[in-house]
Amino acid sequence: MRFWQKTLLVVLILFIVTLDASVIMMMHKSWQLNMEREIQRSSNEQALIANNIYDNLNSIKSRGMTVNDDVLFDVARSYADYYLKQGISLQLWDREQLVYDGALAAEKRKGLEEHHVHEIVTSGELPAPYQELKLVYKRNIEELYTSQKELNRYFVYVNATAGPILACLLYVLIRQLTKPLRQLSRTTQTIADGNYNERVALKKNDEFGELAQNFNQMAEAVGRHVTELSAMAEEKQRIVDNLAHELRTPLTSMQGFAQYLNSAQISEEERITASGHIWSETLRLKNLAFKLLDLSVLRHQSVERIRISVDELFQSVRQMEREKLEQAGMTLVLHNAIESVWGDPDLLASFLVNCIDNAIHASAEGSEIRLSAYELDSAAVLEVRDYGKGMSERQAQRAFEPFYRADMARSREHGGAGLGLAICKQIAEAHQASLSLESRENEGTCIRIYFTTP
Amino acid sequence: MATILVVEDEKPINDLITMNLKLVGHSFFKAFSGTEVPPILERENIDLILLDVMLPGLDGFELMRRIRSLNIPVIFITAKDSLADRITGFELGADDYIIKPFEILEMLARINVVLRRNAREQSALIIDDVEIRPLERQVFKLGRAVELTAKEFELLEVLIQNRNIALSREKLLELAWGYDYEGETRTVDVHIRQLRKKLGWEERIKTIFKLGYRLEAPGEP
Repeated sequence: MRFWQKTLLVVLILFIVTLDASVIMMMHKSWQLNMEREIQRSSNEQALIANNIYDNLNSIKSRGMTVNDDVLFDVARSYADYYLKQGISLQLWDREQLVYDGALAAEKRKGLEEHHVHEIVTSGELPAPYQELKLVYKRNIEELYTSQKELNRYFVYVNATAGPILACLLYVLIRQLTKPLRQLSRTTQTIADGNYNERVALKKNDEFGELAQNFNQMAEAVGRHVTELSAMAEEKQRIVDNLAHELRTPLTSMQGFAQYLNSAQISEEERITASGHIWSETLRLKNLAFKLLDLSVLRHQSVERIRISVDELFQSVRQMEREKLEQAGMTLVLHNAIESVWGDPDLLASFLVNCIDNAIHASAEGSEIRLSAYELDSAAVLEVRDYGKGMSERQAQRAFEPFYRADMARSREHGGAGLGLAICKQIAEAHQASLSLESRENEGTCIRIYFTTP
Repeated sequence: MATILVVEDEKPINDLITMNLKLVGHSFFKAFSGTEVPPILERENIDLILLDVMLPGLDGFELMRRIRSLNIPVIFITAKDSLADRITGFELGADDYIIKPFEILEMLARINVVLRRNAREQSALIIDDVEIRPLERQVFKLGRAVELTAKEFELLEVLIQNRNIALSREKLLELAWGYDYEGETRTVDVHIRQLRKKLGWEERIKTIFKLGYRLEAPGEP
């Protein structure tokens, strides 16, 4: 059973029961009061009539007449006739003997109509010396019963009308009140179906509004996490795909050329081409294997940091890159404003060499590459800047991802595995240093490493 | 034989494919990026395209969408072996899907299947005084029909399709008799002897030490 149905039913039943119970109690009380009043009135009237009869008898006696049954009968009848008009019948008893029966007289007059009528019967003796006389007073209260019956009918009628009207009003009211619940339920359903951008549009200051607000916050958090997770999963998948590609491509040609050499009828020239390819692809695989090993070692080994002279570091890097720079016809410009940094000299040299390699590949012949060291906001900064072709924003975002290449074709020509910047990132992390990459297309790229902890 | 366009950005693999195509008598064109393909298709009459998926510039799937209307058979060659990629490839109308690393013989076999399905390999082949008509499954020597059994003909076809490449007896069994054939490699020797005798090809079908047999014929048709 739905919540609104339950609420409606419970409220309806409760309301009707309470209303009916109070109405019934009130009716009962009023009946009691009416009854008491009638009884009181009857006994008063009976006393009054008894007194009158007594006075009458007294006066008859004082006139010297004897009070026999006929006299009593006459006296009683005169009273009974008078009171009969008010629906009251009288009986007069002398000891155990009925002297006059007003009801009988009335029945005689009216004929036999109703036998079972409701009446109040009050009897009492007359004052002395007529104490053996007893006056029975019967008051017809049929009217009281009729009005009570009428009231009962009316009560049933009101119940029959008020019930459905109340139910209708309650339905409208409860549906209105539970509307936010349905709205929430619909939204949760949409979100459960995977649409994490759905929000509850509920601007209220009550508990539902609060719930909606909390719910929206929750949906946002869940949505954010799901996006993050799927982005991470996507990146992982990309890395695995790329690794597969990096491994399969050289393996395919090595396997193929080996088979070619082994089984085909070929010329000397073809033999040299085939074996040359096997050779270069082996080197490529070796390079990839070592780079991967570097990455994995960096990830699992802590770095011992010592004070390194920046001058010495720069000179050794220049030494390492001299041949490549000469081949590419580029110059390396050094600019050093700090004395030393803390770190692992080999790793930092490897970091700079990787960055400079990238810079060489991105730059045109004759351009210059700047390598600088300076202090910024109490952090030592090493910076490699080139004026090459740069990267788009999207490429820059993925630049540190393993195997990502901004320029697939060119990077492979240089024998890169696409791991350079991924290794740089690991090196920076091992030094608890932060990295920044700024790049504009056709303007160049600038990579900085910030040593925040001394 | 057929003219095949090889689109592959990895130079070693491009060389590997084209060198083998040359061996078995196909002519070829090389392309190293997607953007080079449309001009070649306009200029040349291409029977089949071997297409790498991960290409710089224009990737293989995108290129496929553009050249679909030309109705040239396409075989994808890729390192991506996810089911979704394969389905994408076939949905785009690829004839086959080869995953790196692949074996050269497998690639050649798949090329032949696609070529035959598309009936591009139609013409008869003449080596010396022997004429082979693949569609009619008939062989003529000096204009006279040579009676070959069904297996002998299939073996001959395998040798021709993989000419200039040495094939082991096991490989020949697999290619000519089928994977599930449980015969001995001696069967191959018997059939090769028959072919040599019937076609007078004692010199053409060479026995290669430790390897198997190789049909030596000029690469260019």
